[in-house]
Amino acid sequence: MAVPCAVVGLGQTKYSRRRDDVSLDGLVREAALRALEDAGADFSHLDAIVIGKAPDALEGVMMPELSLCDALGAIGKPIYRVHTAGSVGASTAVSAATLVESGLFNTVLTVGYEKQAEGNATWTLSGGRSGGQGAGGTFAPWMRSYIQQSGAPDYIGWMVAVKDRLNALKNPYAHLQIDDISIEKVKDSAMLWEPIRFLESCPSSDGAAAMVLTNEEGARKSARPAAWVISHAKRTEFSQFPGRDPVRPQAGVECSKALYKKAGITNPRKQIDAAELYVPFSWYEPMWLEGHDIAEIGEGWKMTDEGATEIGGDFPVNPSGGVLSSNPIGASGMIRCLEAANQVRGTAGEYQVEGAKTAVGHAYGGAAQYFAMWLVASEMNPDFS
Amino acid sequence: MTTQIPDSYHVLEFPYTRTTGPVVGPFLTALRDGKILGSRIDGKVYCPPLEYHPTTAAAVESELVEVGPSGTILSWTWVAHPTPKHPLSESFAFALIQLDGADTPLAHAVKAASSEAISTGARVTAQWREECVGAITDVYFVPEVDAEQQKIEPGEGDVIITEHLISLTISEPLHPHRRRFAEGLLEGKIIGQRSPASGKLYVPGRGYDPMERIRLDQSAEEEVADVGTVVGFTEINPVQYHGQKERKPYIRCSILLDGSDQPIQGIDIRHIGVDDFRVGMRLKAVWKAPEDRYIEDLDNRYGTIPDTVVERWDPTGEPDVEPDMLKEHTI
Repeated sequence: MAVPCAVVGLGQTKYSRRRDDVSLDGLVREAALRALEDAGADFSHLDAIVIGKAPDALEGVMMPELSLCDALGAIGKPIYRVHTAGSVGASTAVSAATLVESGLFNTVLTVGYEKQAEGNATWTLSGGRSGGQGAGGTFAPWMRSYIQQSGAPDYIGWMVAVKDRLNALKNPYAHLQIDDISIEKVKDSAMLWEPIRFLESCPSSDGAAAMVLTNEEGARKSARPAAWVISHAKRTEFSQFPGRDPVRPQAGVECSKALYKKAGITNPRKQIDAAELYVPFSWYEPMWLEGHDIAEIGEGWKMTDEGATEIGGDFPVNPSGGVLSSNPIGASGMIRCLEAANQVRGTAGEYQVEGAKTAVGHAYGGAAQYFAMWLVASEMNPDFS
Repeated sequence: MTTQIPDSYHVLEFPYTRTTGPVVGPFLTALRDGKILGSRIDGKVYCPPLEYHPTTAAAVESELVEVGPSGTILSWTWVAHPTPKHPLSESFAFALIQLDGADTPLAHAVKAASSEAISTGARVTAQWREECVGAITDVYFVPEVDAEQQKIEPGEGDVIITEHLISLTISEPLHPHRRRFAEGLLEGKIIGQRSPASGKLYVPGRGYDPMERIRLDQSAEEEVADVGTVVGFTEINPVQYHGQKERKPYIRCSILLDGSDQPIQGIDIRHIGVDDFRVGMRLKAVWKAPEDRYIEDLDNRYGTIPDTVVERWDPTGEPDVEPDMLKEHTI
């Protein structure tokens, strides 16, 4: 039987295009110290540190886990580094939770980060070659396939882009703060990767997010109410093979199935109060609603259309503003997990989903081939019956 | 024949920036202006200065103090044959130098006529380069007796962000199946690999069947049609990153060649407008004349049919294939 794992500290930096006032080490440490402060703890309480970031080539700092030791209080303690492309932030949180659940460590600090302004993501994701397709160019054909297969109207993508930016206006940490965001503004923005427009795409951000995870005893001593990690799952598949469905990848379907099963969730739309899904391009909201069995196939876009995914809807998605509003890549998945915990603790401030007791954090990476999810609740033993 | 197929060669290069932060920033600013700083932490002076306490990780109330410019070699190694990336172009020593006033050693380069001039315990002095930019390479060291008096003019502003062109040259021979794929292209043939286990035809072959996890060798190879169906595409508005040569939007598509089971990705389309381009469209390769074909940018991972062998892909004029027929091959 696994040790119950509680999230007791959350820390984030203000996400922005470039943080020119801190070094990479200082940025990562800032999130870590905030998470420790939130938990009412300090470095001496930690038994292990688990960090995650996307490819080293994003900043050109090789093996950063070695040089980050002293900034993260890891001296004399084990430090682990996780890497699963864009899904890494959520994979890292899941790995950290696993260490607590195993009973090996009592209290673990987990941090995800990216200082994107030190390099260029499209260069990195194009293998450093001219004429690359980057992430947008990889995902655009699949978004087109989704639109074609589902028969969704164009404006669904624009609606997601507006909704997440309106949510971001309520989140002081969010990078993009576009006061006059509107459907008109989104559909008039430049076409980057047809059919995806500039304002339907995530920004490039500097930032870090951190959490303190601990066991039952640690949770009792903590300054804050805990978010309990009820279940988590990771799944992987090849980027390309005959018969692959990149629109609704099987690894994603299996990942959420395992997540729900372990938690005892039988009707995700009804039993989950909020979700922070990894939506770097607007169409991925309906795609993941279907890809994770929250909506029937072909029906995800209708949830967006009906306003179900807004704060106040019956299944709010990305109340924090999501990846569309802040994207320090290696942190983006961790932010999803952190914001899920934030919701069930009732500490999400202006973007709090009223009465949220159960929430999901999610990330995907690579060619939509790595998935990591966790489900958190305000109770250690929630009853979904 | 094989002389026509070069090894895979790629220069991975980017001008990365570094945000220096509250300790390294003042250190580099002072260095540019002719001073070497250390940080005093609990009575000890660390050079280079540290942002965090080296044993407790606590925040450091960093008092920056001037050290050097002379110091003592604690240990060293001789670099007899420097590469272009080394800080000095002629033979030199890398040394751990404990600067006067510091309690920890700084790793740096010492210029000396020969290794005879270097020894543990030897005294060395920093010398500034003519042009200082706020980088650790603004200085190098020489034996104290050889040091010249220098007057350094302070630069302007603080060193907040530094830029570093980081470059990695990758050269490797092509795998045998990749070489045969490339040789085929020069002959106007597209070579795929059919797995005897799954019956699937992969283009280009990977040397293994990813579904069945078995190795595929030359006996699995067969020629594939140079006509196929578009299964996915996007028009890319190129981001202007370092090394980007593209300036105008271009289409990048995946084509399922007739008879194959996996689309070939990354095909460039330059002569068909995005409004006329469709999933399901039938396209045929228009090969360059044999004497004009060459291979220059093929590696072991990124598999496409380059425009150095196929001039372009033209519509065949056949009716489009229904999207439902392609569902298993969306890419």
